[in-house]
Amino acid sequence: MFKPYLPLWFDRARPIFGALLLFLPLYLLGVAWFAADPQTIDIGYSPAQPVPFSHALHAGELGLDCRYCHTTVEKAAHAAIPSTEICMNCHDRIAANSPKLALVRESYATGQPIPWVRVHDLPDFVYFDHSAHVNRGVSCVECHDRVDRMDRVYQAKTLRMGWCLECHRNPEQHLRPQDQITNLAWQAGSPEEQQRIGEELRRKNNIQPSTSCSTCHR
Amino acid sequence: MSRQGEPIADYNPRYWRTLDELANTPEFREWIAKEFPHGVDLEGLSRRRWLQLMAASFTLAGFAGCRWEKTEIVPFVHRPTGRIPGKPERFATAMDLSGEVTGLVATCVDGRPIKLEGNPVHPSSLGGTDAFAQAAVLQLYDPDRSRDVIARSDGQWVVRSWEDFTAALRERVAATSSGEGWVFVTGATSSPTVRRLRKLLEQRWPKAQWFTYEPLHDDFVRRGTREAFGVEARPVYRLNQAKVILALDADLFFESTGHVRAARDFAATRDGNPDRMSRLYAVETRWTLSGSSADHRLPLSPGEISAFVDALENCLATLAAGESLPDIGSSPDQSPEARYRAVFLKAVAEDLWQYRGRSVVAAGNWLGPEVHAAVARINKRLESLGGPVVYLPVSDPMTARTAESLHALHELLVSGSVQNILFADTNPVYSAPLAMKLNQLIERIPFSAHLGLYADETALSCRWHIPMAHFLEAWGDAETWDGTYTVVQPMIAPLWGGKSVIELLSLFLDANKNAQDWVYETFQARYPHSQAADWERCLAQGLFREENRQLNSLTELANTAKREIPGDAVERFVAGEKSTGNSVSVLLTADYSVYDGRFANNAWLQEWPDPVTRLTWGNAAVIGVETARGLDCKDGSVIRLEVSSATLDLPVVVVPGIPPRTVVVSLGYGRSAAGHVGGLVRENIPPVGVNTYALRSDASQFVFSGVKVTKLPRNQPLASVQDHHLIDRVGLQGRVERLGELVREVTLERLTDPHEPYSAEEVVHHPPLESLWPEHTYDGHRWGMAVDLSKCIGCGACVVACQAENNIPVVGPAQVMRSREMHWIRIDRYFTGTPENPRTVHQPVMCQQCEMAPCEQVCPVAATVHSHEGLNDMVYNRCIGTRYCANNCPYKVRRFNYFYYHKDLDNPRNEVQKMVYNPEVTIRSRGVMEKCTYCVQRIQNAKIEAKNQRRPLIDGEIQTACQQVCPAQAIVFGDLADPSSAVAQLHQSNRAYGMLAELNVKPRTKYLARVRNPHPALQAIEYREPAATHEHGA
Repeated sequence: MFKPYLPLWFDRARPIFGALLLFLPLYLLGVAWFAADPQTIDIGYSPAQPVPFSHALHAGELGLDCRYCHTTVEKAAHAAIPSTEICMNCHDRIAANSPKLALVRESYATGQPIPWVRVHDLPDFVYFDHSAHVNRGVSCVECHDRVDRMDRVYQAKTLRMGWCLECHRNPEQHLRPQDQITNLAWQAGSPEEQQRIGEELRRKNNIQPSTSCSTCHR
Repeated sequence: MSRQGEPIADYNPRYWRTLDELANTPEFREWIAKEFPHGVDLEGLSRRRWLQLMAASFTLAGFAGCRWEKTEIVPFVHRPTGRIPGKPERFATAMDLSGEVTGLVATCVDGRPIKLEGNPVHPSSLGGTDAFAQAAVLQLYDPDRSRDVIARSDGQWVVRSWEDFTAALRERVAATSSGEGWVFVTGATSSPTVRRLRKLLEQRWPKAQWFTYEPLHDDFVRRGTREAFGVEARPVYRLNQAKVILALDADLFFESTGHVRAARDFAATRDGNPDRMSRLYAVETRWTLSGSSADHRLPLSPGEISAFVDALENCLATLAAGESLPDIGSSPDQSPEARYRAVFLKAVAEDLWQYRGRSVVAAGNWLGPEVHAAVARINKRLESLGGPVVYLPVSDPMTARTAESLHALHELLVSGSVQNILFADTNPVYSAPLAMKLNQLIERIPFSAHLGLYADETALSCRWHIPMAHFLEAWGDAETWDGTYTVVQPMIAPLWGGKSVIELLSLFLDANKNAQDWVYETFQARYPHSQAADWERCLAQGLFREENRQLNSLTELANTAKREIPGDAVERFVAGEKSTGNSVSVLLTADYSVYDGRFANNAWLQEWPDPVTRLTWGNAAVIGVETARGLDCKDGSVIRLEVSSATLDLPVVVVPGIPPRTVVVSLGYGRSAAGHVGGLVRENIPPVGVNTYALRSDASQFVFSGVKVTKLPRNQPLASVQDHHLIDRVGLQGRVERLGELVREVTLERLTDPHEPYSAEEVVHHPPLESLWPEHTYDGHRWGMAVDLSKCIGCGACVVACQAENNIPVVGPAQVMRSREMHWIRIDRYFTGTPENPRTVHQPVMCQQCEMAPCEQVCPVAATVHSHEGLNDMVYNRCIGTRYCANNCPYKVRRFNYFYYHKDLDNPRNEVQKMVYNPEVTIRSRGVMEKCTYCVQRIQNAKIEAKNQRRPLIDGEIQTACQQVCPAQAIVFGDLADPSSAVAQLHQSNRAYGMLAELNVKPRTKYLARVRNPHPALQAIEYREPAATHEHGA
C-alpha cells in the first residue's frame, strides 16, 4: 500500500505555504523600510551625556536665552556647544561643589574638553547653516522642538530631507518675528494669524527658500 | 567597425592638439577607436573575486547598525577670541621659494590652514599665486615629511630628540671660538632675519664658511650684469609699461623675478585696447609660458640664440645711428627658413627701436653671461632702464641663486679641513654633479647635520637629520625684489616638532630667543621709528608699507661694457647653424611641476600637466618634429643621451616648435629619497622620472652640445593628457562638418577695424537655435563666467587651486594613462600653424553650466539637475554611476571616480593628510560622477553671509577658486542677472563667444577670443587666413 512521506494536511496546506513564501520578501522589505525610517530610529534618540545637563532647568525654569551658551548660532553654520568657560561663568559660584559638575570643574582645571554626545546628526553631505535660519525668522523650536522642557535632549523631528523641503516650500507656517526666535513657547494666536505673519515676514525679508540640490549638498 | 582604420575624410583642423591629430595618422585613428587607450585590460580584480568582495560588503553593511555611529562634540575649554568653530579665518603670510616671495593669505578652518590665496595688497601677487603656492598646503600635511630628529650611529638610524641634538651641538660649538672647520650650507632666501643671523654669526665666528646653493641658479645673469654694470644685479620686468617685449628663452611668468606680478602686468596689456596692447616676441629653444603667450615665436637651438642677440645688437646700432636696416629678407636664393629669420630679426629690431623707452628684452637664466651683458646693453640703448625693466643690485649673498658656490664647497670638502657641516633647507647631494661624490665627502665629516622637510638624499649622508618646520608652521620674514618687508606668520604649530632655519641658527647665538623674537627684532631694527601698532598692522596686512621708497635701479653702464661684435653677425644668424651629424644639444630646464626637485613628493604637482607637453608624472626628452623624424621616434620611444660624464635613457615627447637637433629635458625628477609619491628607493618605490642632474658637470650646467643620441628598441608609456577626451571618428568628423572653432582668435587690426565690427560669435554661422525642451526661467541670480583667452598665459595655477578647494583626488600615472585624471578644470593647449613653428592657444575648460544641459537630459536618476540659479547641480548621493552624463557632455568635463581614491588615507600613517580637505566640500566615493560646480560652496556661504548682514551681494564678492588664483585675472565670475556686473559686461563684449553654442546647450561660461598683435611683415608669412566660415549645420 502507498504510504505518503508527509502527512496529508501538508499537501492541503501547500498553496498557503506558497502564498506565504511569495509575500515573505515583501514582508521583509516592509520591515526593513519601516525599521530604517528616521521616524523609527532617530526620533527619541536621547544619549546619556557626560554631564547630566538639564535644558529644562537652564532654558526652561531659569529662562536662559539659547544664545547665552550657543553663542555662534547667529554668525556661523554651527551652533557651537559652549566651551567649559561658559559653564564656569556661573558655576564657579552656583552649585560650585555639586558632584554632578565634577567633570566640568575638572575640564576647567585640566584643559581637557568635555566629550558631549551629538544628538542631532545630519549626514556629512548635508551642509546646514544655523545662521541662515535663525536670522530669517526660523526659530530653534522648528527643528529642536521644546528643548526648554527636555531634561535630557532628545531628537524630536525626523530631520529627513522631505521634512526640510516641506518648510522650504511653504515657509509661512514656520516664520516668526525676529525677537521671538529663541522664545520656544511663542505661538501665533491661530493658524490663520500664523499664515498672515508668515506671509508678511516673507515679503518683508524677501525669504525665497531654495529647493535646489546645491543649497544643502555640495 | 571596419571603417575605424580609414582616414577621416576632410579632417584638416585649424587648431590641433597633437601632431598625430594633425597628420591624421593610423595611430591616432586607432587611439580614438579604442574604448580603453593603450589596450589595457582592467587589471586588478577578477570577476569572481569581485563578486566575493561585493557579497561580503553587503553582509557587512547589513550589520553596520541602524543609526549613525555615536559621535562626540568636543568644544574648547577656553575658546580663543574671535574663533568660531567651522568658520574660516584668514591670516597674511608669505612663501619664499629660493628668494622669490609671494605674499599670501591663508584660509584656516578650526586652526588648520586648508587653502592659500594671493595677498591682494601685496605687490608681489596682488591676489594671484602660482601653482607651487597652491600646492604648499599638501606639502604641509605630507605624511612623508620627517617626524623625528634622527641620528646615524654605526650605520643605523636611531630616533633622538631635539635636546639630544642641541647637546651634541653645544659640545661641538664649545670646541671652537673662531668657527674654524665649520661650514654652513643654505638655500637662497630673502629673509632679512636669516640674513641678519648669518651676519651676527659671521662676526662671532669669522672663520666659519658660508655657502648658498641653488641648482636652478642665475649665476650667468649676475655675471653678465657685472660685466655690463660693474655690479651683480637682477633684472625685474614691469611689463605693464612695455609695448614691445622680446623674451630670449625667458620664462617671464615662471622663472623671472616677480613672475606672478609679471603675469598680471602682462595680461593687463592684452585686452585688445590698442593703446595698451603689447607685442610679445619669443625667441626660444624650449616652450616657455612666454613663448606660448607670444605673438611671434622663433624656435632656435641654444647656440643660435646668442647669434640672434649679436645680430640684434648690430641692427639696433644701425638704427641708433639713424640709418635704416638693409633689406635682408628678400634675396631670391634664400631658403624660406632664412628669409623668415631675416624678416623676424628686422621686425623685432625695428619694433624695439620704434617703441624705445617702452620696449624691453629679457633673457633666460641659462643663457651665457655674454648674452645677459648684451641684453643689458640693449635695454640701455632702448632707454628702458628704470622703465619696463629695472636692474637691482644683488647685495646680499644669501639672496642670490647661485651654484658657483658648489665648486668651492667641493674643494673645501676634498681638502679635509671641514670638521662640522650644517645643511639648512638644501639638497645638494641630489643635484650636484655625480663626479663630485658629495655624499662620500659628507659622510667623512665628523659632525654633519641636515635640516629639511624630508629625510632626503643629503640627509641620508649626514649624521643628524632634524625635521624642518614648514613655512606655514614657523615665524619668519621675507623681502620682495622691491624691498617690501613681508612677514611670514605660522598658521599651525609644527606638526612634527620641526624647527625653522631661524631657530637652528639661533642655537649658535642666543638659545633663549624664539623665532618670533628674532623676527620682531629685525623689524624694529629695520624701522626704528615704528610703533607697536605698526607691527600689528604689518601682521594683519602681511607687509610693512613704506612711503616714498626709492628703487635703487641701475641706470648707467660700466666702462667695461664694451664688446666687439662681428660685423657679419646678421648674415651669420640668418644663415643658421650648420648641421652637425648625429649629435644634438641638450637643454636642462626647471620643471613646471617639481621646480628643482623639491616638490617631487607633492602629488598635486606631479599630476598637474605640463603647460605645453601636457605630461604628468615624470619628465621626458622633448624633441621637435625634425629631430623625431631623423631619429624615427614617436611619443614614448626611448632614446639614450650620452655625454662624457653620464648616460641617460629617456622617453620621448614630440612637440612641434622645438628647434631641430635639440633635446629639452626638465630637471627635478628621479629622486631616490623623496617619499612615497616621488620615489623612495629604500622602500622599493621607484623614482618618478629620470634624474637629469646626472648630466651636469662642473663645466656645463644647463646646455650640453655635441651629445650623442641613439634610439633604443623599446617604448615607455607616458602619462600624458594631451589626447584625452577625444571623441570617436563619427564625432570628429561631425566636429569638422558642423562645429565652429573651439578656440577663436582675432588680430588687433581686425578687432579695431572701424568699417566692419568684429563679433566672435558670428564667426560661426548656424541655423536658428530652437530648443526641444522648455527653457528655464530665473528670477534671482544667474551665475556665469567669462574666460579671457587673451589674458590666459596657460600657467595652470587654476588647476591646482581647484584641486585644493574641491578635495579633488590624485589618481596616479596608471590611471592618467587611462584618461581618468580627476581635474575639474583642464587647460587645453592647441597648436596652430606649421608643426615646425606653431603658435599656441591655451583654453581653460571647466563645466560650462549649460542651461540646456545634455548631461541633465540623460541622467536616469536625476543626480544632475538644474538649480534655480542656473547651475548644473551634481548630487553625489543620487549618482549610481551610469556615466551617461559624461558620455553626453560635449565639453568632456565630467570626471568619474573609478576607484575609492581616498583609500590611502585609511592608513593611520597617512591620516594627517585628511587635514588638507576643505570641510565645505563633500569627499566623493567610488562610483560617483563629479565636476566643476562654480565653487558652489563659496556661492552659498557668501549668500548666507550677505543675507545675515541684510545686504545684497556685491559684484566680485564671490570668487571661484580658479578666478581667485589666476595671476593674469583671465577668469571672471559673477551674476549675469545684474547687467552692471563685470561678468555680464564681458558677456556683452564683441570678443565673447560660447564654446559649442551652436549645439544650443547655452553654456554659462563665455570665452573671450584671444587677441593677437602680429607684426604686419611676419603676419604675412606666418598667419594663414582663417578658413571660410563654416557651413550651415546639418
